[in-house]
Parts: sequence; C-alpha cells; structure tokens
Amino acid sequence: MKLIHLIRRNCKLYFKDKALFFSSLIAPLILFFLFVAFLGDVYRDSLTGILPEGAEVPKRLVEGFAGGWLISSLLAVSAVSIAFTANMVMVQDKVTDRFSDFAVSPVPQSTLALGYYISTALVTAVICLLALAVGLVYLAIVGWYLSFADVLFTILDTLLLVLFGTALSSVVCYFLKSQGGITAVEVIVSAAYGFLCGAYMPISSLAKGIADTLSFLPGTYGTALLHEHLMGGATDEIGTLFSGEFADGIREGFDCKLFFFGNAVPEWTCFLVLVCAIAVLVGAYVLICAAPWKKRKKKPVTVAQPN
Amino acid sequence: MNAIEIEHLKKYYGEVKAVDDISFTVGRGEFFAFLGVNGAGKSTTISILCGRQPRNGGSVKIEGMELDSHADEVKRRLGVVFQNSVLDAPLSVEDNLRYRAALYGITGGAFQKRLGELTELFELKELLRRPVGKLSGGQRRRVDIARAIVQEPEILILDEPTTGLDPQTRKSVWGIVHRLRAEREMTVFLTTHYMEEASDADRVVILDGGKILANATPLELKNAYTGDYITFYGADEGELRAAGLVAERVGEGLRVEVKDTAEATALVLKYPALFRDYEITKGKMDDVFLNVTGKKIEG
Repeated sequence: MKLIHLIRRNCKLYFKDKALFFSSLIAPLILFFLFVAFLGDVYRDSLTGILPEGAEVPKRLVEGFAGGWLISSLLAVSAVSIAFTANMVMVQDKVTDRFSDFAVSPVPQSTLALGYYISTALVTAVICLLALAVGLVYLAIVGWYLSFADVLFTILDTLLLVLFGTALSSVVCYFLKSQGGITAVEVIVSAAYGFLCGAYMPISSLAKGIADTLSFLPGTYGTALLHEHLMGGATDEIGTLFSGEFADGIREGFDCKLFFFGNAVPEWTCFLVLVCAIAVLVGAYVLICAAPWKKRKKKPVTVAQPN
Repeated sequence: MNAIEIEHLKKYYGEVKAVDDISFTVGRGEFFAFLGVNGAGKSTTISILCGRQPRNGGSVKIEGMELDSHADEVKRRLGVVFQNSVLDAPLSVEDNLRYRAALYGITGGAFQKRLGELTELFELKELLRRPVGKLSGGQRRRVDIARAIVQEPEILILDEPTTGLDPQTRKSVWGIVHRLRAEREMTVFLTTHYMEEASDADRVVILDGGKILANATPLELKNAYTGDYITFYGADEGELRAAGLVAERVGEGLRVEVKDTAEATALVLKYPALFRDYEITKGKMDDVFLNVTGKKIEG
C-alpha cells in the first residue's frame, strides 16, 4: 500500500509540474519539427532517389515509409528523454531534502527506490503509448503497411525501451545532487540522445568509426527494432514491387537492420541486448541504492559507558 | 516514564565534535527547548533522534524503546516539522496529507477520519483542495504541522519552525502548538534560536560546541544566570545615585540591575521614597544565553 501511494504521488507530481512535463517533450518536439521542416522530405527523396530509373512507387507507400521512420524515431527518443525528466521527481526530492523527511517515516529505502522506478516507467510508458497510438492513426491516414504482429512488436519494443530508459535515468539521476545538475542532464539528454541512438539520422549514414562506436550503445538496438517493426511492412511492399535485395538495401540504409563491426545483428540479438542492458542497469541501480544503506548499518555504534 | 532519554550521545565528523557526550531527558507532555547558535549541535542531535544519522556513541530511547532495535516503532511515535517546508508544492493540501498518512499505513476510511480531525484542528477546510504552492507562509506552516502529526505521534519535534516567519504567523503557529499540548498532551521538542520562544518552555537546554552548558527551567536559568531589574518611573538619576544605585535610562524609566529578588525587596524596604512608581522584572533569556555561552544570539 505504501508503494502504491508513493507511485501515485510521484506520477501526480510529474503531471502537475508543468515545467517538468513540457521539458520532457523537448526532444520529441525537436524531432517532430525537424521532420516537418526538412527531414520528412529528406527521407522521401532518399527513398525515391534510390529507385531504379523511371520506376515509381505509390505516394501512400512513400508516406507510410517516411511516417514509419518518424514515429519509430520519435518513440526511441521519447522512451529515454521522458524517463529522464520523469525521474527528476526523485532528484528534486533529494535536492529539496525530502529524502530526510522520508527517512523519519517508517518506509524502507528499497520501497522508495522502487517507487521512483515504477512511477518513472509508468509515466514514460503512458506518454509513449499515447504517442504510438497517435502515430498509428497518422499511419492509417497516410499509408498503412503494418501487420498485427508489427503493432504488437512495436508495443513490446516501446515497453522495453521505456524500461531501458527508466533504468538508465535511475542510475544517472541517483548521482545528481543539485538543480544545476538536473538542468545539465536534461539539456544533454534532450539534445544529444536523438543523435546517439540513431533517431535523428540513420547510423548507417555516419562515418564507420562513429557507427561502430554507437553500436556499443544498447539504445541503438531498441531504435533498430522500432524502425524494423514500423517500417518493415512498407519496405517489404517495396520489395514486392522491385526485389528482395532492393528491400534489404533499404533496411540497411535506414537502420532497420543493424551492424556490429560489419556483421548483421539478428532481431533476436537486438532484443537480447536490450533485455541484458535493462538487467544490468536495474542491477546497478539496486546496488547503488543499497550501498549507502549497508554502509550505514555496518558502522559500529560504540556505546560509551557512564562515568 | 520519560518521552526521550539520551545518554552520553556523541557524534564526530573527523576531528569536529558535533555532539560531545551529552545526556538529558524529556518528560512526557513536556515542552522542551533546545537552544543554541547555528552549529551548536541541535540539528545533529535531532537527526540522530529521528534515526537519520548514525552516532559514534551513547544511547537514545524514545518512549522507553531503544532507537537501534525499534527504529520503525520509534519513527511512528515521532512527528517532525523541518525548518524548511517539505510539502509538495504542486499537490493539494489533501494530497500532501494523504500521501504522508499512507506511509504510516493510514489509508481509505481511516485516512478520511483523520483528515476530518486535522481539518477541524488546523482550520483547513477552505485550503484542502488548493495547491500548497499557492498558500501563504503561515497557511503552509499549519499544513506542515498537520502533516507531521498525521499518524498521531506522541512526540512532536519542531526544528526551528518559525524561522523566517512574520510575527503574526509565528504567533498563530505557537497557538496551534500550545493547543496540541493542551488537548493531546503531546511532548514538544523545540530547537530554536528565538529566546522568547524558549522562555515559554517547561525546560531549556543550552547547547554550545556540542556540549550542554545549562539544563533547567527558564525561571531557574534566569535566577542563576541573570539578575532582576527594577525600573523606576518619575525618579531622577540624582536620587538613585544618592542611594548608591547605578541606573540606565530605558524609555521613560530608569533601570537598575540587582542581584536577585531579595536584593530588590531589601531596597524597597530601605528606600521606600524612591519606589513611587516602579516595576521589578526578571532578566531575559537573551541575558541568560549571553552569560552561559558568552555569545549573543542573532535573530
């Protein structure tokens, strides 16, 4: 019961704090405006540019493909950036000394830590799934090429990325102790994460060294899964119009298929990387949360003898 | 039984002795004041008392229970009002109370009942739905205290609760605290650097450099560490000088410091003509503090 109320309190604080809520939308909004301003045309032109000379594809297919890129990128960025801002509830509690207040109540530190983790994951999942729902409606309007399995896999990818973003932000935010630190992390995550995870532009279009470096980051595998499940249907349709090899080329060029030092990474490996990353980060979070507590308990208390 | 028993408490930060072997007790229902300048060790003692900080030595018993072996039971018996409000500003007053109560397992119907009691006690009816961020300083302090006692603790710890509040709000905060004491027989443990607040306490401990320098009732402290003052109205300085009294002008009167009330009585009997219009007052807690610690407290 304590845990449920802590989760409700944290979620309510996030949604009632308008500054916090809107700051979490910065990264997805950047991507959306980039797409509207020029990225959408870039991807449409990239697709039509690589078609065999004189060949044409239906407009709905081009829109479905470009829309799939936008929505998958949007979700990949949101799952992490929203998790970071949602976790600011924990940092603000620390900065404003609410941790001391919790410490004088009979609530275990492990319950507090779990409360922050679950509330961050819930908030992020709700917003991301809402964004996905809007995205699916958009795709249904401009060009729908998804199967039922694609939709289910997209939900799974989103939830895994949410858990990953929550775990990553929990570890990072644990060490933040000032308002300045909060702002710095928010700015860095909002501005940089989209590039790092391959959401703003395909990793395959970057220099080999950078692409190889980015392939060490687990978030890129989540982005690749989303790309595949939201663009795969449209890509397969293009394949039926031309050839399977042509479709494979598109998959590689638009990060639906990821490479690790030149070797193609199968889809199940992408899932495995993501799950392992979540497990490692959650383990790290549990360890860092438990460490000060253990240290405190171990400290010997010497009771002085009355004179 | 005592509400709080502290024996030989020690807390060191390296070479710094924040709390240096202090012992004291607080009786049940007592209004106890902990007086000291910043850095005297007040907040450190409170932190240890609440189980927020480990200690280097000594024992702490709350309501007869050892803090180490009964941490959760002890925490249920303590309500703490921090110097800085820890209310969630974006949430309503009711939500702040609800989420705090839930930490003590008070939910559903039990919470509604408690909310009704607190609403009445603290006159919160109009404020329940308002976000805490939109309340005045005084209203917020009322909610802070309501939140601290949501689980009906036996002991209320007030850590400099009126610092930064205007006189009117301070008065209203103390009105509530005194009502709680009168109606619920609650033990109140106050840390403060406001002398007039300490002078209302049943007992005062003066702490300096982590050590207890004095532990007595305000009256005992005044008798031990300050003299009495006789203020003469309508007398002139020459008359007083002739009687061997050194006076200083205070407002419309001339004030003479005497050792104690007995000396004042002796003067009345010896020079009745001087005592046409006069008052005899005890020394103030400021003087007590200055004489005990050699320091003047700011605030």
